[in-house]
Amino acid sequence: MTALARKYAAFARIAIAQARRERAEVYGRAAFFVVILGVFSSLWRAVADAGLPIAAEPRSLVWYLAATEWIVLSAPPIHLEIQEAIRRGDVVYQLGRPASYVIAELAAALGLLAVRAPLLGLTAFVCAYAFTGWIPPACALAIVVPFGLAGAALLTALFLWTGLLAFWLQDVSPIYWVGQKLMFILGGLMLPLQFYPEIVRRVAALTPFPAILGGPASFLLNDGLIAPGALAGRLAIWSVVTAVGVAWVFRRARAALTVNGG
Amino acid sequence: MQPAVELNEVSKSFRVRRARSAGVPARVRDLFGGRVETVVAVDRLSFSIAPGERVAFIGPNGAGKSTTLKVLAGILRPDAGDVRVLGLVPSRQRHELAFQIGTVFGQRSQLWYQLPPRDTFELLGRVYEIDGRSHRRRIDLLTSLFDLGTLVDTPVRNLSLGERMRCEIVASLLHSPHMLFLDEPTIGLDVSAKAVIRELLRTESEREGVTLLLTSHDTGDMERVCARVIVIHGGRLLWDGPIASLRRSYLKAKRVTLWSDAEHLELRLPGVRVLSSGSYRTELDVALDVTPLGQVIDAAVRVAPIRDMAIEDTPLDDVIRALYANADSGSLAS
Repeated sequence: MTALARKYAAFARIAIAQARRERAEVYGRAAFFVVILGVFSSLWRAVADAGLPIAAEPRSLVWYLAATEWIVLSAPPIHLEIQEAIRRGDVVYQLGRPASYVIAELAAALGLLAVRAPLLGLTAFVCAYAFTGWIPPACALAIVVPFGLAGAALLTALFLWTGLLAFWLQDVSPIYWVGQKLMFILGGLMLPLQFYPEIVRRVAALTPFPAILGGPASFLLNDGLIAPGALAGRLAIWSVVTAVGVAWVFRRARAALTVNGG
Repeated sequence: MQPAVELNEVSKSFRVRRARSAGVPARVRDLFGGRVETVVAVDRLSFSIAPGERVAFIGPNGAGKSTTLKVLAGILRPDAGDVRVLGLVPSRQRHELAFQIGTVFGQRSQLWYQLPPRDTFELLGRVYEIDGRSHRRRIDLLTSLFDLGTLVDTPVRNLSLGERMRCEIVASLLHSPHMLFLDEPTIGLDVSAKAVIRELLRTESEREGVTLLLTSHDTGDMERVCARVIVIHGGRLLWDGPIASLRRSYLKAKRVTLWSDAEHLELRLPGVRVLSSGSYRTELDVALDVTPLGQVIDAAVRVAPIRDMAIEDTPLDDVIRALYANADSGSLAS
């Protein structure tokens, strides 16, 4: 491993150590997960019992939701950390070091993701099984996990981009919430995109959200949203777009540093 | 010998968006582009610092201190002028410079809050690409010099402010920097913690020849750590010289306290101001360029027998306050 790789791996390691000491937050997310899956599994059962037409089996929809929520909840909300560091001025410490601020932040966030994803994945698996009494085919699960992790990593990078906007906005929560709502619909957070009107699907295809959420999770449905190869391609393209966006915003942000350090 | 820091006619401005005025129509217009003003943070600033020097860098709020420190650390690029730190141009060679400088910001932290300082120290070893064995030896050395003991393995959230600040300074010294920038390193600390930090900074600078540039509003930090002071105001240089001569040259005054047999000592001399009098104790402010000290003592002895006396320099706080006030009123030539 090169000195450069060891440098950023150290950020991931220390974030993992910190995450282990902040277990309460992960437990809180797991509890939230249980509630969400409980509510939606009851909802889908009630819809099916009422004889209303739904395009997928209720048990598949519960597993789909477990996968999308697992991806969303595993991605650490680093925009909040970055926003606080900029507000407090702590960012000047990081900017003065012989390390890239954005890569260090991303490495630390991926360290957090490495702690959250297994625990929340286990919660998702146990809850979805408990609420449906069914386990999807192993090959479907085997493909959801790597794509889900890749989606969560891309979502983390988007949170990083959102956090960097605090150099101008101070409070990035409006941007975050708009992003959340777009992801809710265009990513197919609760309901697979296959159930939406054509126009919504076309708009969604222009955003990274289907590649992050609906794409990986839909492998648990009978008809996948996108083939694995195409999904890998989309994730790669959106990763490059996000990396360019982060680099551009960060360069502008450094130029926008004010007398108080941003 | 090459200076550790060299600034030559350095300027830095910021464009700041301001609201046009109060009222809804003005606010709506601001949404489509407010009034943009240029704020001059640093204005043709020049000074140099020799290697190993300990310099206080002071000025009122908004004087341009933080901006200057960020320019020196390579975080900000100056609009004009030349900057060299340890022979490097910070804005162009920030990465190389980062290996040779350390920073301590009293109101900010570089320690991971939930973890013991040792974890941050180990991270910094990787960041500064220090060989593992040398880094462990360096941690042991500094832990011992800064008397950290078990604190190094205690989560930061459980440390007092003074303990945390000792750890922050150790974190900044781990990569053996040649230059240390300190911004309010004793802010919020109690008297004894301040004394410890000041002593550690001074001895570490002497031991390793580290150049210190210290920003503080606490004159105790300046007097006990530094030998020289640079004062800026409105982004411009106001004073640069030894702290002792700042007192002597700028305020030619002494504070004299007399304990005499007279309950109230009546002294009417030009340049002598009675600050307080009563209970056989009189405190005077003596302008030495108007009335020499000996003349004041002679006059006092003639009024009543003197039992004891104390002669002190005017507190540095007063000197600096007067310096700022004069700069505000424009009476002091830059």
